[in-house]
Amino acid sequence: MKRYAVIALALVMMLSTFSLASAQDQAPLTVDIFGPGQRQVNLVILPPRSLEEQMPQFAETFEKTVKNNLSYLPFIKGTQMSQLLGGDPSKGVRSTEIDFRPLQLAKIDLVMTTGWKPNGVEVRVFDTFGRRMIIGKAYGRVSKENVVSIADRFCSAFVDALTGKKAFFDSPLAFVRQLGKSKEIYTVLPQGRELTRITTMGGFNLGPAWSPDGSKLAFTHIGGKSHYLGIFDAKTGKTTLHTEKLGQSVISPEFMPGGGLAVTLNRHGHADIFQLDGNYKPRRVLAKSSFIDVSPSFDRAGRKMVFTSGRAGNPHIYMMDLQSGSVRRITLDGPYNTHPCISPDGRYIAYNRRTGSGHRIFVYDLATGRDRQVSFGPGSDEYPAFGPDGYFIAFASNRSGQYKLYLTTRHGDAAKMIQTGSGAAFAPAWDTKLQ
Amino acid sequence: MNTRLALVMAMILCFAITIGAGCSSKSGSMPPGATQVKVEDETPPEPAPEPEPMPEPDYDQEALMQQQRQEAAVQLGFMINFAFDSYELSQEARDLLSQKARLMKQYTGMTMVIEGYCDERGTEEYNLALGEKRARAAFEHLVILGVEPERLSIVSFGEERPLDPAHNEAAWAKNRRDEFKVSF
Repeated sequence: MKRYAVIALALVMMLSTFSLASAQDQAPLTVDIFGPGQRQVNLVILPPRSLEEQMPQFAETFEKTVKNNLSYLPFIKGTQMSQLLGGDPSKGVRSTEIDFRPLQLAKIDLVMTTGWKPNGVEVRVFDTFGRRMIIGKAYGRVSKENVVSIADRFCSAFVDALTGKKAFFDSPLAFVRQLGKSKEIYTVLPQGRELTRITTMGGFNLGPAWSPDGSKLAFTHIGGKSHYLGIFDAKTGKTTLHTEKLGQSVISPEFMPGGGLAVTLNRHGHADIFQLDGNYKPRRVLAKSSFIDVSPSFDRAGRKMVFTSGRAGNPHIYMMDLQSGSVRRITLDGPYNTHPCISPDGRYIAYNRRTGSGHRIFVYDLATGRDRQVSFGPGSDEYPAFGPDGYFIAFASNRSGQYKLYLTTRHGDAAKMIQTGSGAAFAPAWDTKLQ
Repeated sequence: MNTRLALVMAMILCFAITIGAGCSSKSGSMPPGATQVKVEDETPPEPAPEPEPMPEPDYDQEALMQQQRQEAAVQLGFMINFAFDSYELSQEARDLLSQKARLMKQYTGMTMVIEGYCDERGTEEYNLALGEKRARAAFEHLVILGVEPERLSIVSFGEERPLDPAHNEAAWAKNRRDEFKVSF
């Protein structure tokens, strides 16, 4: 018992030392992912070192995981150590043990060192030009079983130190996965881990959406004679189906920031967007026309709702001010614009536009009134979903022949596929509770 | 005396037979049409004797009705198709719906689920709404033609369950449809 207490104390001291060091060395290098043109930084990961005894076998797993995680971040460009003049410029893991000159010559902005101790690891990242530590973390009791999750935690802290946002590696995506002839809801982390099956009902389970606190998922379940509103509660692990007073169509449910749920129902002969109360019964109409109104999306403050409407003859994107009820048309070009997703801060609207060569993702900037294409096929790119930071955009594309999930940013960075297992994957929705 | 009389009568009879035989041989040698005799029978023909009553074939009336219902269900199941991004009923669709309305009115025990479908182009949830519009267009037309609405229900499958999984106009045209599922 005493021994554990000593170890725990040592760990706490170690962590505080690193935190202090981190605080003292105020990081001069940051990446403004919100700027008009983001900066790309070059990073080299030095080979792991054993600080006391033999290096554990899973040291390699840690390095691989970190490299894979960082490959999802378009603002970090990994460089091989073999490209450095003179090879490994370090003799240890601390700044005093690194020769920064060859790194500066190779225009490397960041260098990462990893030092292994019995059952523990220390990871540091230095700014090569400022010769300062950007982040230093120590993790105790590292084992084969938890090494991947520790690598994820480190990456999250690293991105936080660099950009001020750490949600990326910790925020799951819900999506629809094809299983034979049925479609089921799954969740996965954007780096492709923790693939979890949510629904097991068979049939078609479509259009998942997270509650603002990430504790529930809403979706459409298509039964033989009617649609159902499906609600998965992560706290109880149970899924319930609701149909009373909802009619035969329940389309594109979306939780509202202030409580309640918005969903398209057909109660008066046309598809309108309704707000449901806490018991999932219709409370009031949010958007109504004689045409199709569908796909609501809300900003975090609950001031704006964007949605798709066919009121102009073709589907276009509209935005409603939820306080005044005034509606403004957003898209003016193209015959088919659908599936809008507003960024949590309410500034950008990602949506799907049909072009001559397939569907593409566009981002509309409400501040400037400008559109920007952020996906480029081939095939069709659909279902854009903003991440919690309003920077990453997940979408589905059949560019490889089968629909899979991809990541890009609102700047249109090269798309990277998210691992979702076998079978097609559609309709990503990002849990945005961490911001 | 009696013997003599009998003998005389026998002789007369023999003579008569001989004469008759001679006449008969003569008539056989007469040319056709030589005789002017025309026989007209004015008596009405006797009615044909009543045939023996045959046993009725032992058909199962229930099976027959069942077969007729199934045939009706097959006809009720004929799909209708739509143009891209449209839920307007074509004349062909209206004709098929008229036939369905007639059958639904004939078989009052039947109920029907109208399923709306879209092609794979377009967004899932917009297609779910469009499929619903397509199913509702058929629903409303059948109600106008006199089918009780409580016997009909609609559900949209959007772009799910394509009839033809190919990615071309021919496949898309097949997949933009209403299907009619009958229960009885």
